[in-house]
Amino acid sequence: MPNIVLFSGSSHQDLSQKVADRLGLELGKVITKKFSNQETCVEIGESVRGEDVYIVQSGCGEINDNLMELLIMINACKIASSSRVTAVIPCFPYARQDKKDKGFFDIAVDNLYAEPAVLQWIRENIPEWKNSCIVSPDAGGAKRVTSIADRLNVEFALIHKERKKANEVDRMVLVGDVKDRVAILVDDMADTCGTICKAAEKLIDAGAIKVYAILTHGIFSGPAITRINDAPFEAVVVTNTIPQEEKMKSCPKIQIIDIAMILAEAIRRTHNGESVSYLFSHVPL
Amino acid sequence: MNHTKGGLVIFSANSHPSSREISKRIGERLGVELGKVQVYQEDNRETRVQIQESVRGKDVFIIQTVSKDVNTTIMELLIMVYACRTSCARSITGVVPYFPYSKQCKMRKRGSIVSKLLASMMCKAGLTHLITMDLHQKEIQGFFNIPVDNLRASPFLLQYIQEEIPDYRNAVIVAKSPASARRAQSFAERLRLGIAVIHGEAQDAESDLVDGRHSPPTVKIPLLIPKEKPPITVVGDVGGRIAIIVDDIIDDVDSFVAAAQTLKKHGAYKIFVMATHGILSSDAPKLIEESAIDKVVVTNTIPHEHQKLQCIKIQTVDISLILSEAIRRIYNGESMSYLFRHIGLED
Repeated sequence: MPNIVLFSGSSHQDLSQKVADRLGLELGKVITKKFSNQETCVEIGESVRGEDVYIVQSGCGEINDNLMELLIMINACKIASSSRVTAVIPCFPYARQDKKDKGFFDIAVDNLYAEPAVLQWIRENIPEWKNSCIVSPDAGGAKRVTSIADRLNVEFALIHKERKKANEVDRMVLVGDVKDRVAILVDDMADTCGTICKAAEKLIDAGAIKVYAILTHGIFSGPAITRINDAPFEAVVVTNTIPQEEKMKSCPKIQIIDIAMILAEAIRRTHNGESVSYLFSHVPL
Repeated sequence: MNHTKGGLVIFSANSHPSSREISKRIGERLGVELGKVQVYQEDNRETRVQIQESVRGKDVFIIQTVSKDVNTTIMELLIMVYACRTSCARSITGVVPYFPYSKQCKMRKRGSIVSKLLASMMCKAGLTHLITMDLHQKEIQGFFNIPVDNLRASPFLLQYIQEEIPDYRNAVIVAKSPASARRAQSFAERLRLGIAVIHGEAQDAESDLVDGRHSPPTVKIPLLIPKEKPPITVVGDVGGRIAIIVDDIIDDVDSFVAAAQTLKKHGAYKIFVMATHGILSSDAPKLIEESAIDKVVVTNTIPHEHQKLQCIKIQTVDISLILSEAIRRIYNGESMSYLFRHIGLED
């Protein structure tokens, strides 16, 4: 019966360590470095022969370097006769360029959802959640917010806009009522944050008492942090699929939802051959 | 070939302007404008490639030179190749003068054979042909299941020696380690000169240490006597001569500087270093400037303007001629054998 061996790429050592702690394991020994000509070099430091290998690497920071590192690590493990290699990629890079998620791989893909963790955070941290309104910053996220709104038994709203080109926002129209409520914006990615900051202002204008933003992946590139600091948010909550320590120092509004236990549980269930679908609606303790 | 050709398009997939130099030269030689494409990195560090003209039914040539960010260069190339493939290009030829990760082509401990990984990725992305130059190991051609043309820079380097070194007939071609002896020999034969080989300690930058993944042997196996390295010696006569060290790649210059030191001690009065690919990373220019080397001659397969500013000893030989000739011949379906005449087995 193979054992779990967990390796971490250099993109998010912190998250990998948390996952390892949850599984009660030590991270596998691996040396990742760059030669002076900037070529990536990977050396696995322990035997993986016949083992069940998991490699945690997030698509953040220097994406091309991290992607190459991941590919080389997977290749090295396969050559070293591991029994199975699974890549754990909390934030999948280049996802926006394709605009299609599934059906692209020849291998099994488990796309986990942050929703259960988001619901738990809302119930624990927003006192007025029963009188809140879940808002989607664009029409495409309607399914996501209605799912959350139904589980919390609250109302939802969405913002409809005309976009001229990517990362630039045009006219915004609010569909739904947020007057005298707490508005909770929910989206999957926060990159330059132009959309959600304008959305926040719109919601305040429409009478919302407080505005929260909950986003799965906090990429926060370019002017994102400045925009958030200037916008009327109570808090901006992201998961730790992408390391956030640096950003939190310059923006006190950012809070973190830890998803290490979801990843750890997924790894454990995959290893034991159990069903992973439990994780689509429950947060592991 | 009888079918009508859709036309020739040449793209440069580099985002960095200095890396596009050689593509511009090739375009000039062929009398073709470079294709319109936008390659850049977004704020979140993802690479984005936007092709701004039609490639449907055309023969596409993508020129990609390796810059400081190797992994980004690779990604740019892959995205561009795939974009051309999904836009129904007739054929996609990659022109990658220096093939990256070619030094990681052998199994090291629990490493990965990255050149094989790269080759698989490029073929999968849709590349139908590859033109490269002086592959570090010729066997890398076998990693691809598409045709690979491994052009040689040696004719240009030989021409430099004959034209720019006045008393080259009093020179000796030197191999800085036994591994490059074959290359030195092939140069020496064509110039009708002698060779010398440097052998000794401090030569093993790439040798592998004993691998720790084994259980102790159950029977007593006679121990291999560990190789003893003699002190650095020069086999061959360099006294009173010009020494020309030849190699394919010059990256970490420590071994070259040490070799130059040794050659000076043995009586060489001028020392040249000639290499096809001048990576010259980190503080190579400074070390060269302070060393006994008189000149370093590299080709423009890898842009090195930055290094030239720091060290006046570096000279460039332009090889865009052979790349443009290769592109022309492939596009017209002509034979490539002219480009490989006089190339020996050792080159």
